[in-house]
Amino acid sequence: MYLDRRAERILNGEEGWAKAKALEVIVKVGEALGARGLIKVKHAHISGVSYSNIGDAGLRLIKSFADSGVKFSVPATVNPIGFDLENPNVFGVSNEYVKKQKEVLNSLRMMGGDLILSCTPYDLGVVQRYNLNIGDHVAWGESNAVVYANSLLGLKTNREGGPLALMAAISGYTYDYGMHIKEYRIPEIEYIVEEPKEGLNEALAGVLGEVIAGIHSLQTPPLVRVTFTKKLHLKEFFAALGTAGNIAMTYIPNFTPEPLPDNWKPRERVIVDSFILKSRLYSLRPRDPKDIDLIYAGCPHMGIEDLLELFILVKSLGKIRKKFIVSIPRILLLDRRIKEIVDELKKLGIIIVKDTCLVVSPLDIKDLRVLTNSYKAFYYLSRKGAKTYLAPIDELALTASFGG
Amino acid sequence: MKEFRGRILVPGTVQAQAIVVDSISFYGDVDPERGVLKDSGRNIRGRILVAKKSHGSTVGSYIIYSMKVKGTAPVAIIMEKAEPIVVAGCVLADIPLVDTLSEEFFKNVEDGTLLEIKKDGKVIVHETSQ
Repeated sequence: MYLDRRAERILNGEEGWAKAKALEVIVKVGEALGARGLIKVKHAHISGVSYSNIGDAGLRLIKSFADSGVKFSVPATVNPIGFDLENPNVFGVSNEYVKKQKEVLNSLRMMGGDLILSCTPYDLGVVQRYNLNIGDHVAWGESNAVVYANSLLGLKTNREGGPLALMAAISGYTYDYGMHIKEYRIPEIEYIVEEPKEGLNEALAGVLGEVIAGIHSLQTPPLVRVTFTKKLHLKEFFAALGTAGNIAMTYIPNFTPEPLPDNWKPRERVIVDSFILKSRLYSLRPRDPKDIDLIYAGCPHMGIEDLLELFILVKSLGKIRKKFIVSIPRILLLDRRIKEIVDELKKLGIIIVKDTCLVVSPLDIKDLRVLTNSYKAFYYLSRKGAKTYLAPIDELALTASFGG
Repeated sequence: MKEFRGRILVPGTVQAQAIVVDSISFYGDVDPERGVLKDSGRNIRGRILVAKKSHGSTVGSYIIYSMKVKGTAPVAIIMEKAEPIVVAGCVLADIPLVDTLSEEFFKNVEDGTLLEIKKDGKVIVHETSQ
């Protein structure tokens, strides 16, 4: 693999043990994949930071870097952790757990991490703060954010594993492969979505992600002709692609900023029938509001528009009679008006958590019946032993207003 | 006995029985404490995991690494096409990883099939005893 002089110096240990170790792993992964060389990244988003997910092995790895005194070479934001920093006990975590999770956080802070503790780095002023522009190379972990970055922001990133995003932040490099290469960003297959008359909602968008992830097997992005009327639909579609598949990018005409080559034609066209989407979603819906113990929204972390929509829905329905958890990025609360809405939602009985989410928290949901509007949450919470159901946000609000 | 050739991503020599899945998300689908697949209860500890594809969370790399540290990891992984998340996990954990095996290979392997991975990327499918 071709290495520039700086990379060689780092590998020789001239910039310390940590950078040498980080770059050594990146080079090994790059060589394994047949990468032609390394490239510099402008930013990293580090996933794999919840103590529930990485355990002592992950903690020791992250801490070993931090303890060496190394600082990140490029700005790096950080994914959600296992609990709300202001209220660790909301998920009933042990003191030991809090201590270990804080060690992970402190290590990332020592290296210079920007602790947004959110899986939506595309949404929180990060792009502006670090001056990320179309065509910039970055190293992002967090599968939903990767699809968003490539497909909507024009940033270039592979689906970096948590440790690789960390090591890219430390070394400032990643391997030149996959999504960093122009040819791999040009779609070959076009999926034409026959939308239901009433349009898509976020639950159907998630199911669409599952369906396309199930069919698409090429490394190049699927081009998807579909109308998304809300950002939430895009987020849930992207999150589903990253959950049900290993897709790093999808090309959506009018949304994806990179132009297609002149005279581009698909090699193959696939029609996605609205009946398939509707019947799949129907099969995942609860039959009776009584069947639900817990309602969850905010996977990926909820944005401002979605929070407003939820507020209007819940307010119009009145009381919340079921346990309803919503996860949001802490940064949203800096806006006084959002803070007021969040306080209102809390008064109405909704549990708002920041810095965390149900997917990465240690909350025991085994055998609970959980309704969510996120395909991603639907998938992972079922793997945590819950009986999960999928429906759009208005149905979540309606279900919450029922007793039983 | 049949021989197949793959691409070596992480080299190693190993012989063990196969556990076959179509697609895997190491985060979510696997219990790293016990090294079992959550849906079927099958144990992948000490086995060669044969998975055509992978999907899901970028935390997968840490799960592979954690399993190695805990002693619950598979001894090797064979895939049709390995993606960066799995490669990173195997590099960190030093778990042999081979991909680009033919369709024919996957047809010849089922749970319990004895597999042997050679250092040069050759994968030998031994006849099962029964």
